[in-house]
This record gives sequence, C-alpha cells and structure tokens, in this order.
Amino acid sequence: MDVDWELIAFLILSVFEVIGSILVVVNKRMVRAAFWLAMTLVTIGVIYLLFLSEFVFLIQILVYAGAVPVLFVFGIMLTRRKIMDEPPTEAAP
Amino acid sequence: MSAPLVPNLFNVCEVLTLAIVWIVDQILYGLASVIPPLTGLAQWFDPAYRDRLHLTPLASEPLIIVITWLIAVTVIVIWATLFNLLTMMWVERKFYSRLQDRYGIMISIWSLPFWPFNRTRRPTHRGTGYLQNIADGVKLLQKENITPRNADSAMFHISPVLIASSTLMIFAALPWSSGFYVANLDLGILFIFAAFSLAPLGILISGWSANNKYTLVGGLRAAAMLMAYAIPMILCVIALVFYTGSLNPLTIVQQQDRTLVSLGPIGIPAWYIFSPQILGFIVFSVSMMAEMERVPFDIPEAEGELVEGWTTEYSGMRFGLVFGFKWLRMIAGAALITILYLGGWSGPVFTTLYVGGVPVPIVPEEAWFLLKVYLVSLVFIWISWSVPRVRIDQILNIGWRKLIPYSLATILIAAGSIAWGVWAVG
Repeated sequence: MDVDWELIAFLILSVFEVIGSILVVVNKRMVRAAFWLAMTLVTIGVIYLLFLSEFVFLIQILVYAGAVPVLFVFGIMLTRRKIMDEPPTEAAP
Repeated sequence: MSAPLVPNLFNVCEVLTLAIVWIVDQILYGLASVIPPLTGLAQWFDPAYRDRLHLTPLASEPLIIVITWLIAVTVIVIWATLFNLLTMMWVERKFYSRLQDRYGIMISIWSLPFWPFNRTRRPTHRGTGYLQNIADGVKLLQKENITPRNADSAMFHISPVLIASSTLMIFAALPWSSGFYVANLDLGILFIFAAFSLAPLGILISGWSANNKYTLVGGLRAAAMLMAYAIPMILCVIALVFYTGSLNPLTIVQQQDRTLVSLGPIGIPAWYIFSPQILGFIVFSVSMMAEMERVPFDIPEAEGELVEGWTTEYSGMRFGLVFGFKWLRMIAGAALITILYLGGWSGPVFTTLYVGGVPVPIVPEEAWFLLKVYLVSLVFIWISWSVPRVRIDQILNIGWRKLIPYSLATILIAAGSIAWGVWAVG
C-alpha cells in the first residue's frame, strides 16, 4: 500500500485553510473573524513547513499568527464603540 | 567543559520505553495463559521471540519510536512544570516574603495529615513551604469553573488552552543541557520566539471574551505592551546573530564555552554579556521582564486599577493555568537570557567519577544551567518586588522611544565590532 501522506496532509490543511478563510468573511462577530484569520494564517504556515521551508514557517507564525491578528483585534476594539452585544434586558416579572 | 547528566534524552527514554514494554509483555503473557489469543500479541512485544524469527528489533518499530517520543515529551513537560514551575513559585513566594520581613508560606511535608509526618510535638505550619503551591493547586482544582453571563463561551474557554499550549511549546526547543532536550532545531531561538509570540493573541481573546470592562482593558494593555516589547527582543537577537551566525541554541552555547582573557587565576569566559553586546543584554532583559508581565511592567493586571487584569473572570483551574504559566514563561525567559548571553550550561568541571564505566560529572551541565536560570529569575523577582509599577504611557514611552532605538544601536555596535574585528567570532 503506497499512500502519499504528504498529499493527504496537504489536503487536510487546505480544507482547514479554506474553511477558516470562509469563516473569516462570513462571521458576524469581528473578533471571531480575527481569530479565524489567525487559524488560516497558521495553517498556511504549516503548509510552508510541509514544503520543508522551516524559516518561512517560523516567520509566518511569528509575524502572521503573533502580530497581525493582534493588530486586527486591537483595531476592531479601538474603532467600534460597542464591542460585545448588549446584555438582553431582563423581562419584567 | 562540563558534561551533561542526560547524554541523550531520546536514548534514555528508549530504555524507559523498553522497560515499560517488557513489564506490559509479562502481564500479556500472564493474560495469554488465560486468554490464548493474546499469545501472538505478547510474542510480538517479546525481544527474544523477535530475534528467533529474525524480525526487526523492537526499538526500530514505528510504534515503539512514537511511544518513545511521547515519553520524551512527557519527561520534559513534567520536568518543566512539576519540578521547575513549582520550585520557581516557591522561590518567588518565599523570597518576596523575606523581602517584606515575614515568614511567607510554611505548609510543608510536616503538614501532611498522616502519621510519619504529623507528629504532635512538631507545629504543622513551621516548614519550608514547598507544598503550599501543591495545596493551592488542589484547592483550585476543586473550584467550580464559572463562565460569566453573556461571555463568549467558546473563546473564553479556548484562550487558556492557547496560552498554556503555546507556553509548553517553548520547551520543545529549549535545551536544558547539551543532551537534555527534545528537539535540536537549527532555528531553535526563532522557534522559541514564535511560541512566545502566540500568547498575546490568547490574552487579547480572553480579555475580550469575558465581557467585563476590567478584562477588556487588561487585555488591551497586555496586547499593546507585549507587541511593543517583542520588537526590541527580536532586534537584540538579530544583533547577536552577527556574532553567532546561527540560531541553534546548542551552537550559541558552544561558542561561549571558551576563555576570553585570563586575569591571573580567574579566566573570564567568552559569554556574550562580556562582548560589546552588554547593551543588548540590558535591553533584552528589560524587554523580557515586560514579556513576563512582572511588576514594573505589570499594567495588564494592575491590582489597584483593574481587579486582576485579563485573568479577572477566570475561576478554578483555568485561573491556575493562566496565572501559574506566567512563572513557566519566566523560566523560559530566564533560560533564553542564559543561553544567549550568560553562557548557557557551560561551567567549570571539577572532576568526573566513573560509575561502572559511565562517566558521571560531579557538577553536570544541568546544574550550571539551573543555577544560572534561577539566579537570573531571582534578580527579576528582586527587581519586581522593589520598584513601583509604571504607568501605561510610560511603558509605551520606554518601549518605543528608548528600547527600540537602543536595540537598533546594538545592531550597529555588533556590525561595527565585527567589521573592525573587536570581537573574534567563536
């Protein structure tokens, strides 16, 4: 049985990446979208690792998983006045 | 040139794995006498039987190799958390208590509620206090895990996992001696920084998702601070790479393991702190203190202003994780400073004993490394319990206006000293 494990790993990672990038676009909550963006970027980094380029992988994790989503979340928090949904007002007894 | 106590972690763990497999094999043979179909499984794990059938030796089976790696990772995790984390918490709590002129924690082995320890003439709260942290951990494990109302539950519960796992990931590449490591990566220092840089996202997410103004402000402050102070750290490492030409921690330590100058009987070792990188060492240490959120830079959890910062809403063991793993990050940061600037595990060796043909160093490399790590940590603890907290604007001023220009200057100094040959590259 000759299984191309690299191809399987690549396909699994691609599925994660595509799902993550779709969720970035369709998510209603901006912070969750930033979180999915981080996941997408980490998956891209792991695909770099699959191509045996460790340096690009580590720089990708360092910059695009550590710094860029944090900047995004920071920007979201600074620009939007209402960050979370308002708590539902309690119904009168 | 000293020698490591653990010459090769993988080989040591392989011996351990084969011993465990042998014990399991004996149990399987015992079961096979009752349940005959298990005989084949027991024979598959039997080295003698494999020899007779000319199969590959057990140690080269993929299953055994995977188990060996798992055991090696477990050994490092247990070593980092159950030994070093507890010891570091004990050292800090005892040391700041002494700085404040009080006894501090005193629950020790004499406080255990069963016989050989619980003696009537011995007071239970008059020990060294090493078991206090274990008692606190057991207490936290018993507490309820409360999710605040209207919190983003999934994100709220995923961020401690993110912080804890990224902190433990540091120890995959962090060597404790020239033999005691899991993975010897060519880009080990970069890997450690990548693992370090994953935590701010978790902190920001946890601060946002708890739906509490204190956690939100704490998370924002943490993100602003950690982002600002990661830059000078990485710039200092860039300056150091001018000298080392490598990002492999083992290579960096090996280059520092020589004598720079001899002042009479005392030889000054060629650590990078004695090179023109002394400025880089100072900048790196200050940035590392900010990365560890220690007191002069602990505005993310300023108790006087924000209740407990971004950890306010966590309860039970999740609070224990996010709170206790700060010490783990402190150990990793002190170890990084030791590897980069203080010569790592290099130290004088006095004599080597031969026990059954195996050389056993009297002061092994691990001891030198731990000594340096704990000394660096003690200096951090000392500073953090002696100085007041700085304000958020002061922190950002220090980070962006002082440390980043200084770290750029270290790059200039490094390039200049290499160009004019002030410091011979090891």
